[in-house]
Amino acid sequence: MAGLNIVIKQLMKEKRDVVLSILFSFIAGIAAVGLFTASGYLISQAALGVPITALTVVIAIVKLLGFTRALSRYSERYFSHRATFTMLSHIRVQFFEKLQNLTPSKVQRFRTGDLLSRFVSDVESLQNFFLRIFYPPIVLVLIFLSTVLFTLYFSFWIALLLVVGLLLSTVVLPALFAKVRQTTEQPVQEKRSDLSAQATELLFGYQDLKIHQKLADQSEAFNTANDDLIQAQTKERKHELLNQVLDGWIGLLMAWAVLAVGGWLITSGQMEGVWLAMFMLLTLTVFENTQPMAAFPQYFLENKKAANRIFFKEDEAVSEPTQPLGDAGAIDISFRGVDFTYPDEPRSTLKNVNLSIPSGSKTAFVGASGSGKSTLLQLILKLEEASGEVYINSQAISQMTPESLWQQTNTVMQDQQFFAGTIRDNLLSDASDEQLTYALKRARLSNFSLTDEVYEKGDNLSGGEKQRLAIARLFLRDANLWLLDEPTSSLDQVTAREVMTEILRDAENDTFVIVSHNLRGLENMDQIIVMDHGEVVEQGTFDELMARKGYFYQLKEIERDTL
Amino acid sequence: MLLKPLIKRQTYIQLSIVSIVMALTIIAQAYLIVSIIEAIFLSNASFSAILPSLGLLLFVISLRAGMNYLNGVIGLHAANQAKKKLRNRVLSHFTKQPVDLSSQGRSGEKVTQLINVVEQTDSYFSQYIPKMIQATIVPLAILAIIFTQNWVSGVIILLTAPFIPLFMAIIGMKTKDKSEEQLNELSSFSGQFLDSLQGLTTLKLFGQSDREKSRIEDSSINFRQATLGVLAVAFTSAFMMELISMLSMGLIALELALGLIIFDTITFATAFFILLLAPEFYIALKDLSSAFHSGRESLTASKKLEEQLNEPVEELTWGEASLTSRPPRIQLNGVSFAYDESETVQDVSATIEAGSFVAIVGKSGAGKTTLLHLIARLLPVHSGDIFVNDIEQDQLGEQAWFNELSYISQHPYIFSGTIYDNIQMSKPSATKEDIDHAAKEAGLQPLIDLLEDGLHTVIGEGGRGLSGGEKQRVALARAFLKQPSIILFDEPTTGLDLKTEQVLNESITKLAEDATLITVAHRMHTIQKADQIIVMDEGRVVGTGQHDMLRKSNATYQSLIGDVAGGERDGWS
Repeated sequence: MAGLNIVIKQLMKEKRDVVLSILFSFIAGIAAVGLFTASGYLISQAALGVPITALTVVIAIVKLLGFTRALSRYSERYFSHRATFTMLSHIRVQFFEKLQNLTPSKVQRFRTGDLLSRFVSDVESLQNFFLRIFYPPIVLVLIFLSTVLFTLYFSFWIALLLVVGLLLSTVVLPALFAKVRQTTEQPVQEKRSDLSAQATELLFGYQDLKIHQKLADQSEAFNTANDDLIQAQTKERKHELLNQVLDGWIGLLMAWAVLAVGGWLITSGQMEGVWLAMFMLLTLTVFENTQPMAAFPQYFLENKKAANRIFFKEDEAVSEPTQPLGDAGAIDISFRGVDFTYPDEPRSTLKNVNLSIPSGSKTAFVGASGSGKSTLLQLILKLEEASGEVYINSQAISQMTPESLWQQTNTVMQDQQFFAGTIRDNLLSDASDEQLTYALKRARLSNFSLTDEVYEKGDNLSGGEKQRLAIARLFLRDANLWLLDEPTSSLDQVTAREVMTEILRDAENDTFVIVSHNLRGLENMDQIIVMDHGEVVEQGTFDELMARKGYFYQLKEIERDTL
Repeated sequence: MLLKPLIKRQTYIQLSIVSIVMALTIIAQAYLIVSIIEAIFLSNASFSAILPSLGLLLFVISLRAGMNYLNGVIGLHAANQAKKKLRNRVLSHFTKQPVDLSSQGRSGEKVTQLINVVEQTDSYFSQYIPKMIQATIVPLAILAIIFTQNWVSGVIILLTAPFIPLFMAIIGMKTKDKSEEQLNELSSFSGQFLDSLQGLTTLKLFGQSDREKSRIEDSSINFRQATLGVLAVAFTSAFMMELISMLSMGLIALELALGLIIFDTITFATAFFILLLAPEFYIALKDLSSAFHSGRESLTASKKLEEQLNEPVEELTWGEASLTSRPPRIQLNGVSFAYDESETVQDVSATIEAGSFVAIVGKSGAGKTTLLHLIARLLPVHSGDIFVNDIEQDQLGEQAWFNELSYISQHPYIFSGTIYDNIQMSKPSATKEDIDHAAKEAGLQPLIDLLEDGLHTVIGEGGRGLSGGEKQRVALARAFLKQPSIILFDEPTTGLDLKTEQVLNESITKLAEDATLITVAHRMHTIQKADQIIVMDEGRVVGTGQHDMLRKSNATYQSLIGDVAGGERDGWS
C-alpha cells in the first residue's frame, strides 16, 4: 500500500480535476437513473390517463436529464484523463528524482538488469489508477446512496434489495474472483517471458543454430512455449469473461428481484401499482454503474504491485557522504587493499588491489576483458562501492559527495549513453554553438551538424561515431581528472591517434587514466598497470615492463603480431 | 489484409447463431417484464398468476448472460488460433532468411514483433469481429420487432439511427490518422523516458541530470496536451452519439405518450415494450463504435506484420548430394554478393585446396566476413559459383554440408542451458566422455573446476555470465566435439587474456590437422603459416599467394602488414 499512497499524493496535486471528475461522473450517473425512473413513471401515469400538461413537464425533465447526462459524461472524461496524464507526469519526475538520489552502484545494478524498462511500463500501467481504481468506487457509492435514499421513501424492501445487489456485485463477486485470480495470475506472465526467452535464443543464436542444425528444434521449443502461453491466457481470460458476465447477470437478477418483490408488495396491497415500472427501470439503470467494477480487483492488484515496485523502499542509507572534494588542481588517487565482488557473482572481480596514481601522471590499465580494469575506474568514480578504501587527494572516497568528484572528472565509460534528440542535446553542454562545433571538429565529427537527429540510445550512430561523440563531450568541460575506458576501441588507427592527441593536449597537466586493450602508444605513459583476473600482476613504465619479459611483454608480442 | 483470412467460416456461423439467440433473449426479456407489470399494475392479477412469467424471465436473463459468455469464448478461441498461426508464419519468415540478413534486422526488434506485435492483433479476433456481428444482428432484430408493434417508433429509430454511424465515420476519419500518430508517439515517449533512466549515470557524470528532469516534465506535459487533444475528439464523438440516442428516445417517449393518451392508438403494454427495447437498440449501436475502436490497434499491428512478411526472402536452396571426400576442396568462381555497402563481395575467384589453410586478410569493411559467410553457405551467392569437390554447393544436402562445418565466430552465442548442453549441441549423439574430452581440449577445465556444478553449471541468459575468452572456449569445445572437415574461423581482433590466446592457437592448429581451414586472420603469425593468403579490398580480391610473395609484390598487403613488418609503430602519445 505504501507505493499507492505516494501515487495518491501525486494525484492529489490535481485536486481540482479530481473533484470535477467525481462531480461530473456522479451527475452523469444520477441523471441516467433519473431519466429512466422518470420514464417509468411517465408511462405508468400515461396509462392511467393524466392531464397532458403534467406529462409535458415530465417529458421536458426527461430530455433535460438526457442532455445533462451526455454533457457530464463528456466533462468527466476530459477532467479525469487530464488528471491522469498530469499525475503520470508527476510520477515520472518523482521516479527520476528517486533514481537520481540512489547510490550510483544501485543505479548500475538497475541498468544491467531489465529493471528500467519494467519501471517504465509500471509507470504506464498507473494510468489506470485514477480512471479505474480511485474514483469509480466513490461515484458508485454516491449514486447508490442517493438512489437508495430515494427508494427508501417508497419501499424499505426494494431499498434493501438495492443494497444487497450492490454488495453482491461489488464485494462478494470481486472477492470471489480475486481469490481465484491470485492463484492463476502468475503463469501468464511466466509463460510470456518463457516465450520471449525462446524467441531471443532463436533469433540471437540464429547463426549457431543454423550451423548446428538446431533451428527446427528451437522452433519447436518456441511453438511449445507459444502453446503454453496461449493456454494460460485462455484460462485467465475465460475467468475474466465469467466475472464480467456474472456482473451483468447480477444487474438483471436484481431487476428481476425488484419485479418479484414489487409484484408481491402490490398484490398484497403494500404498494401502489404505478411505481412498479419505475422501480424496475431504476434498478436496471443503477446497476449499469457496477459494471466497471468487475475489473477493479485486477487493476487494483496490478497497480498496487506496480506502485510498490516503482516506489520501492530503499535500504537504510549508510551514512550519507558529506565531504566535497576540494578543488585542488591535479588529483592523485590511491587504492589500499581494495576487494570487490559483484553481487551474485561467485568469483571476485578485484582482489586486494593496491596502487597509486600520482597527480598529473599518465596511467594505463591493461589486461584482458574481465580482468577488472573497468571496475577500477568505476570504483574511482564511486559508481561501485568496494571494501578497502580508495583515496583521492588523501580524502577517503567513501566520505566524499560523488557530485563534487564528478564535477572535476572527464569520463568516457564503455557504455556511454546517448539520448533521443539532436547532436547538440547529446553534447550535454551549455556552451555556445561555436564551441560545440569546435568540439565536434576536434573529435573528428565535422561531418555532423549540431541539429542532426540522434535516435533513442543513439541507435542511428555507429560505434565509432558514438565514441567520438562521447569524446567531444569532454572537450567542452574543464576537469582535472581524466578517466577513459577504451575511448577509441571502435575507431580506425589513424582517427584514434588523432583524437588521442587532441585529448592529451587538453589533459597535459591533469591526472590521466586510460583503460586499454590496445597496447600501442603506451611508451610515454608514466606507469602501466597490468591486470589479470582481478589482480595487479605487473606495473611499471613501458620500458621496464618490456625489459622484464613478463605478462605485459607477452601481451605485447601478441599485439605486435596482430594486423 | 492479413487478419481476415485467419478466421474460420465456422466461427462466423457460431457467432451469428449466438447473436441471434442473444437478440431473442433481449426481446423476450422486455416482453416478459412488460407482461408481468401489466398483469399486476393494470389487470390486478394475483401474485401466483405471475409466477410462471417470473420463472421464465429468470431463465431468459440467465440465457442472455450465457450467450454473452459464449460470444466471448468463441472470440477468444478465434484469437488463439489466429495468434498461433501468425507466430508460426512470422517465425518461419525469419528462419528462412539467411544468416547475415537476418541479424541485419536487429534481433531485438524481431523478438518484439514475434511476441508483442502478434499479441496486439488479439483484439481484432476477440473483440472486433464478435462485436461487429453482434452489433449488426441485435439492432436489426430489435428494429424489426418494434416495427411490428408500432411503426411510427420504428420510423423514428430508422431516421435517427443512421446519424450515429455517420458521426462516427466523420469523426473517425478525422481522428484515425491522428490517433495512430498518437499511439506511435506514446511508444516513442516511453522510449525517451527509458532513455533518460538508462542514461542517468552519464547525465550525472556530466552534471546534467537536473536539466533532464525538467525535460521529462516538459515532454510529459506536452504529451498530455497532445493526447488530450486527440481524446477530446473521441469524447466529442461519444457525446454526439449519446445526444442523438437521448434525443431519439425522447422523441419516441413523446410519440408513445401522445399515442397512449390523446389518440388512444397504443396500449400501455406496447408502449412500455418499445420503451424498454429502444435503449437496447442504441446500446448495441454504441457497442459497434467501441468495436471499431478495439479493432484499430490490431490493424496497425497487422500492418506492421504484413510489412515484415512482404519483405523479400533470399531463401537458400539445397540439393541432395553429399561430400565425396574429406577434407574438401573448395573453389570460388566469380562469386558476387551485395546487400549494402559493408556487405559486398565482387567477382571473387579462388581455389582452396583440400586440407589447406587459407587466410583472408583486409581492412575492416573489405568483405572478409561476408566472404566467409558465403563459403559457409549462410548467405546465397548472387552470381558466380562455389564448388565443393567439384560439386556445385547448392547441390549439396543441407545436413551433409553443415555436418562437416564448424564456424568459430568472434562472438559465439551461448544458449541458456548447462555448459554440457552448450557443447553437446554440435553433436547430439556424443557421450559424456566425448564432451568431457572436448571441454578439456578447449581449455575449459580450469573454469569447470572452479564451478560448483562443473559441466552442469547453467550459463547463458538467466545463468552465469561468461567472459569473452570463456565463450570462445565453449565454441572451440563444440568444434572439438564435432570434428569437422571444414573450419571457418573469425580470428578475434582484441580482448583475450594470454591463456585464451594460447588455447585458441593450439586448438585451431589441432583442429586443422584433418580439415580445410579458412580464417579471417588478424595475427601475423597466423597469416605467415597460411598455405594461401587472400587479400581483399572493397569486396574484391586484390591478391593471392603466400606471405613472402605478397609482401614483395602486393601494395594492399604491404600497407596492411606495414606496421607489423616495419617493427614498432608510433603510438598516440
